[in-house]
Amino acid sequence: MELNQEQKEMLEGKHGDPKKKAMEILVQLGEIYGAKRMVPITSVHMAGSSVVVAGKAGTKLVEQMAAQGGEFVPVTTLNSGACDMASPGVIGFPEDLVKMQERLTNAYCEMGAISYHSCTPYYSDNVPKPGAHVAWGESSAIIFANSVLGARTNREGGPTGLAAALTGYVPEYGFHLDENRRGQVLVKVEEVPTDINEFGTLGYYVGQICGDRVPVFLGIEKAKMDELKMLGAALASSGACALFHIVGLTPEAPTLEAAMGGLEPEQEVIYGLEQKREAMAKLNKAPNDHVDMVVIGCPHASISELQAIAELFKTRRVKKGIQVWILTPVTTKALAERMGLVKIIEEAGAQIVCDTCIILAPMKEVMAKDGLSSVSTNSAKLAHYAPGQWGFNVHYGSLERCIESAVTGRWK
Amino acid sequence: MSTLTFTGKRIVGGKVEGEALVCSEPICFLGGVDVNTGMITEKGHQLEGKSMKDKILVFPTGKGSTGGSYLIYETASNGMGPLAMLNRKVEVVTAIGCIIAEIPVIDRIEPDPIDVIKDGDYVIVDADQGTITVIQK
Repeated sequence: MELNQEQKEMLEGKHGDPKKKAMEILVQLGEIYGAKRMVPITSVHMAGSSVVVAGKAGTKLVEQMAAQGGEFVPVTTLNSGACDMASPGVIGFPEDLVKMQERLTNAYCEMGAISYHSCTPYYSDNVPKPGAHVAWGESSAIIFANSVLGARTNREGGPTGLAAALTGYVPEYGFHLDENRRGQVLVKVEEVPTDINEFGTLGYYVGQICGDRVPVFLGIEKAKMDELKMLGAALASSGACALFHIVGLTPEAPTLEAAMGGLEPEQEVIYGLEQKREAMAKLNKAPNDHVDMVVIGCPHASISELQAIAELFKTRRVKKGIQVWILTPVTTKALAERMGLVKIIEEAGAQIVCDTCIILAPMKEVMAKDGLSSVSTNSAKLAHYAPGQWGFNVHYGSLERCIESAVTGRWK
Repeated sequence: MSTLTFTGKRIVGGKVEGEALVCSEPICFLGGVDVNTGMITEKGHQLEGKSMKDKILVFPTGKGSTGGSYLIYETASNGMGPLAMLNRKVEVVTAIGCIIAEIPVIDRIEPDPIDVIKDGDYVIVDADQGTITVIQK
C-alpha cells in the first residue's frame, strides 16, 4: 500500500501510540481488501458506543487510547449507548452496566467525540456532503449516508471506526470506489408505500433478495426523509445492504442509466401487494394478540414523528401495566419539550427514552424485572432483530395500530 | 527430533516461543472462545475443550462477526490469550484483534504448516522477520 509522509510517520509511532496502533489496523485492513492508498475522511459515526457491544475489552481499549493522549481528527458522533444517560435508573438498567457506559462515553469524549448517542447522526451536525469519504458504523446510518446523503462509507465496526477517528483516514476500497456503487438489482415498486412503516416493509422484502448487492428502486421518488430512514434500516437488517438508489430522488440516481452505471441489472424484482403481504407475515411472528410493550423510534424518531405521536396521544391513554418507549435523540427531545409534545406524550402514560435502543440496551434484565415478553412496533428493523436478540414476540404494523395496542393491550 | 523452518508474511510483529496447538478448521472468536479461560467452546470443533493460553495457535483462518476482534483483545488482557497465531490467510477480525492485543501473527506460510506442525511441537516465532522454526516433539 502506498502511504504518504504523514501516514508513514503515524505507522512509525512518531505521532504517539494511539495513532500508531490505529494506522496498523488501517494498513492491515487495506492490504486484506487490496486498497492502493488511504483517503482522508470528514466524519466518523462510532459503532461500539454501547457497552453491550464494546464489552469490558472495548471499554478498556478506548480508555487506554484516551489515556495515551489519543485525539479524534474528524467530527465524530457516538452511536446509541446502553441506557438513557439522564435517567438510567428509571427504567431499571443494571447499575454496573450504567457505570461502565459512563466510562466508555467519557473516554470517547476525552478524545473529542460528540456524545450524541443516537443512530441518526444526520439529525445532528454530522452531515457529510455528497461524495465525501466518511467512516460510519450502525447499519441504518451507513446506508443513509451512502444512499441519501451520497457520502461514501464502508461498514465500519468498533475498532476500525476508532482507528479512522484517531488518524482521519480509511483505506480506499469497497464503497469508496465508483465501480462498487453501481446498482445491481432493479426493483419496480407497484405497491407504493403510504406511510413510514410501509417503507420498512418494502426494505425488508428487498433486503432478503439483495443480500449485499445494491438495489435501484423505480416508483418511489416522492419518499420523504423519515421514510428513507425506515427503508434503509430495513434493507440493512434483512440483507447486508449498505447502499440503495432511488431513480429521480437520491444523489447518484438522476436517471436509471446513471444509477446502473450504464450496465444491465443482474436481477429484476417486482414489489406488489402479494410481496407486501408476504413480508408483513414474516415480520408478525407473535403467537397471540397479547401486548405488554410498545416501541416507536427504531431508528430514532424525528421531531415530525414525535408530532404525529403526540397527536395520537392527545385523545388516548396507555393501559396500566403497558410500557411505551418512544426512542429519540436527546436534542430532538429538547425541541419536543419546547413544543409541548413531551408533556402530551408523558401525560398519556408513555415515556421518551434517549441515548439508547432496545437492541443495544441490556433488555434481558429489564424484561425479567417487568415481565415483558411481547412488543409492538412500526419498525421492520426492530421486528426483525427483537425475536433473535431478546426473544420478544413481535407485532408489526402502522404507528396508529401500535399506539392503539398500547391503549387496549391487544394487537388488532 | 528434527528441526523445520518456514517463512511467511508478517501481519503483527513480535518474537515469542512456545508449544503449538494446531487445527485444520477455522476458529470463531465471537461465541466460540471463553475469554476467561482461553478455552475453545464451539460445539464439535477439533479444539473444543482445549485452551489457547500461552500456545502458538496454528489454524487456517478466523470466521464470524466483527465483535470477535474485541474478544481476542479481552482474552489476551485476561492473560488467557495465545502467544502467537499462524494462519494460512488471516481475515479482518483476527488481524484487528491481534493488532490491538499485540499478539504476533504470520500468514501465507511456505510450506503450509497446518499438516506438518503437531500439537506439542516447540515453535520459535519471529514475526518481525516472518520466520518460524519448529522443533518436532
